[in-house]
Amino acid sequence: MLSPMEITLIKSLEEGKDYDLEQAAKISGLNKDAVLKASYLLQEKGLAEVKVVKDISYRLTDEGEKYLSEGLPEERLYSLIKQGVDSIDQAKKEMKDFGIAIGWLRKKGIAKIEGKKIVLLKDADFREKELLKKIDDGETPEGVDELIRRKLVSVDEKKEIFVRILKKPSAEIKDVIKDLTPDILISGSWKGKEFLKYDVRIPSKTIFTAKYHPYEKIVAECRKIFLEMGFTEIKGSFVQSSFWNFDALFQPQDHPARDMQDTFYLDAYEDLDDDFVEKVKRTHIDGWKTGSTGWGGDWSLDTARKLVLRTHTTAITIHYLAMNPEPPVKAFCIDRVYRRESIDATHLPEFDQLEGVLLDKDVGFRHLLGLLREFFLKMGFEDVRFRPGYFPYTEPSVEPEVYVDGLGWVELGGAGVFRKEVTEPLGIKGKVLAWGLGMGRLAMLRLGMKDLRKLYQPDLGWLREIPVSRLRW
Amino acid sequence: MPVVTLYWDELEKLVGVDRERILEKLPMLGCDIERVEEDHLDVEFFPNRPDLYSVEGVARALRGFFGIETGIKRYQPKKGDWKIFVEESVLAIRPRIVGCIVRNLKMSDEVVRSVMQIQEDLHWTIGRNRRKMAIGVHDLSKIEFPLTYRAVKSDFSFVPLDFDETMTVKEILEKHPKGIQFRFILEGKDSYPMIVDATGSAISFPPIINAEKTRVTEKTMDLFIDVTGFDENVDKALKIISAMFYDRGGEIETVEVVYPDRTEITPDMGTREIFVERDEVVSLLGFEINDEEVVAALEKMRFGVRLGEKGFHVEVPCYRADIMHTWDIIEDIAIGYGYDRIIPEYPKTSTIGNTHKWNDVRDMVREIMIGLGFTEVITFTLRSERVQYDYMGRTAKPWEVYVPVEHPLTEEHRIIRSSILPSLIEVLSLNKHHIMPQRIFEAGDVVVARKNRLSLAGAITHSKANFSEIRSVVQAVMHELDLGWEAEESDDRAFIEGRSASIVVDGKSIGCFGEINPEVLEKFQITNPVVGFEIDLSAIFDVGDLI
Repeated sequence: MLSPMEITLIKSLEEGKDYDLEQAAKISGLNKDAVLKASYLLQEKGLAEVKVVKDISYRLTDEGEKYLSEGLPEERLYSLIKQGVDSIDQAKKEMKDFGIAIGWLRKKGIAKIEGKKIVLLKDADFREKELLKKIDDGETPEGVDELIRRKLVSVDEKKEIFVRILKKPSAEIKDVIKDLTPDILISGSWKGKEFLKYDVRIPSKTIFTAKYHPYEKIVAECRKIFLEMGFTEIKGSFVQSSFWNFDALFQPQDHPARDMQDTFYLDAYEDLDDDFVEKVKRTHIDGWKTGSTGWGGDWSLDTARKLVLRTHTTAITIHYLAMNPEPPVKAFCIDRVYRRESIDATHLPEFDQLEGVLLDKDVGFRHLLGLLREFFLKMGFEDVRFRPGYFPYTEPSVEPEVYVDGLGWVELGGAGVFRKEVTEPLGIKGKVLAWGLGMGRLAMLRLGMKDLRKLYQPDLGWLREIPVSRLRW
Repeated sequence: MPVVTLYWDELEKLVGVDRERILEKLPMLGCDIERVEEDHLDVEFFPNRPDLYSVEGVARALRGFFGIETGIKRYQPKKGDWKIFVEESVLAIRPRIVGCIVRNLKMSDEVVRSVMQIQEDLHWTIGRNRRKMAIGVHDLSKIEFPLTYRAVKSDFSFVPLDFDETMTVKEILEKHPKGIQFRFILEGKDSYPMIVDATGSAISFPPIINAEKTRVTEKTMDLFIDVTGFDENVDKALKIISAMFYDRGGEIETVEVVYPDRTEITPDMGTREIFVERDEVVSLLGFEINDEEVVAALEKMRFGVRLGEKGFHVEVPCYRADIMHTWDIIEDIAIGYGYDRIIPEYPKTSTIGNTHKWNDVRDMVREIMIGLGFTEVITFTLRSERVQYDYMGRTAKPWEVYVPVEHPLTEEHRIIRSSILPSLIEVLSLNKHHIMPQRIFEAGDVVVARKNRLSLAGAITHSKANFSEIRSVVQAVMHELDLGWEAEESDDRAFIEGRSASIVVDGKSIGCFGEINPEVLEKFQITNPVVGFEIDLSAIFDVGDLI
């Protein structure tokens, strides 16, 4: 089956004769691209032959032309030596390009240097000038590689394509349907006709599916796990008071994490709930009724009232627990947090955190480990182990690690039981098991990413390339 | 968190265990191993354990953890006849000073290395970069007791460490490297703390620099340590350092500090006792643990224990600066028992899970946008006013609309965004080299007047993108949201005049769409037409309560 294009070409050209593209285009009325495409298609069917002929021509460079008139440097030096000039100093005076000349004589084994003298080793025959002459006359002699390397001759290469029809199909070339149209369908004119056969192996234009962001798939997976485990989703504002971000979590007011260095402060203040404030203040100063020594020193209300861009989602979970102090409570939060960091591959000034809390009376550290194991198991990490950790607002604290093929044990987040200094001033009744992790770390593990910036500075190429199937776990 | 360098030969010798076993056990004591080298390892210890910032402290803890030497270690400093008189004048500047004498300690390279390390780490952590606490180490033989701790004026002079000529306090603060580094601590003061000996010459200018004359050399056998600052942190630091020298074989002698109104003997290396109830241990750990196991765990962690009827009388060694509460001790019981021995149990706490309305609405619009062929992007919420407003031809007031950050780190992170569309246009400007057409959206947080709102924005670019294309999208979105709406002409300069519309629901504008103004595209260096829209979902849906 031939396409209209092929039919046109094969009909218009004579059998057994070579045509270049231009001639074929002129005769057939097709454009050159169409001729080429049709020629190759016919060749595949054994009806035509396409020949690519490379036409090579040589041209002298400026240097080549100079040597043609003056002679090659080595030839000139050779004749100087023959004339009796055998000291290097003298030869240098005689010719500017002595360096090039002696180099070639030595390379060709015609002369050598002994001390300050040049010694001839054999008689020489210089063919180069002859070749240069031939090229100048428009010939294409053999053996010019050396001259091309010496940049005395440049090469022009032209590609010409010829097509020759090998045989014309014996049967009558039939009319075929290319595009199936409503008219053809309505009139029924397709009946008894053949359809043009396409080359199904040729790829079509690239299009892209719209899709969710790969990172959101991971978030969705984490939310699903929490919801399956009976946790309630909570959400809070990015702008929080220092009180809920730090003080309520028993972070001393002079703690380095509260430095301007690490936290985005805002030049504004928020009014606070007096009851919470008084008890938290007392706990910081002398432990209040919590059994703690407290941090000693002063506690400033203004420092607590100052607004920050929350540095962790714990600012939200602790406030939620303070408003829901009666057990049982299970809550989680996956959301944006801010740290005053310069951007690099593993640090961003804003990123997302996942956090879960469980408040109940008869739970302890062992149950926290149970929660963590179950959570990571649901995420597909079958091996989990626990190491002591440190967080200012939990005691005991633990750093869970999961086993990842190819990486070994990877630390994934932190966890602990909220200190009494945190829960009691806020009236939270029972023990709070809490754990959290940076979603970026998870994304890096899941997506095999090395650079976190990719998540928030979207590269459409990457988003389009990453297959949806790879984001199903 | 401080990273402590521990040299293998020293650590193996002091602990009495080979490196393989140390490497295996160390993380279970509470630390992150940063690097393991042939001759040393670098370990990051947690900020609550400054007693582990020296090889002596680590060895002490590890000997307990390995069961080689368990229980409390008692420190008995000798009563010394050394006095420091504190003058009234210094109380307003840096009111607290403590000290001790260390006798008969050969200052080998190892000891000097260890002292320098712990000094630096304590300065950073407990000392908050020398602000709250600073330590000075001196050759005792060069000092004439008694000492006086007093305030001096800026013309007071002495030869500071590493210099060979006399300098005034003023010159030190201006020229000496340590003066330049730490003068911020004394900023605004017109007199300065100084420790002078009986001959009247300075031995230390805390928290800046010691005097050259008390320099510690390889010949030094006896040391005087001073710690100055504001509160009990100076005592904590002195106890940790004293215990370290004691463990090295030095003899500690006390120093008497005479204040105008009182006298203190330092260091107090006695222990304190805390009672920990048995029930509390079981309750916090969440499993039955018998008395023998608790006692064994505590002794491994170098506490003293006496069994009482209802619990444990725990004796806390002087160097443990972190024990504020009985729970701190219970954590050590868990560590001593071994985290790896605790059998995890899933809690029985039964509750019903719920999604937050915010994310329900968000998921709904995300589904609509995917259906319309838009690819989801996520962008930063920290922005610059320039891109957010100036580039867009829009204006807004700080606090009334957007939230400005007080000390931004870069120009790009000066505010929290109040709309998403500028971010999308920026994304398109960064992806010009990719195949057209491009259709992107983001559904997420913006902050208006401090409060988070849920916003949806979409943008399209290709050579023929136009108003009717984006109107079709908005029509489809509003249809799926099942909301009646009208388009009204708007004067939003982000769009071309006459091709810019407000989305009006119940007489209220809740969004916008149109053809992006070429002036905006020029700023973003975009050379294909862009159309876009944004809808404030918080204005039309109940997105739930925010904390």
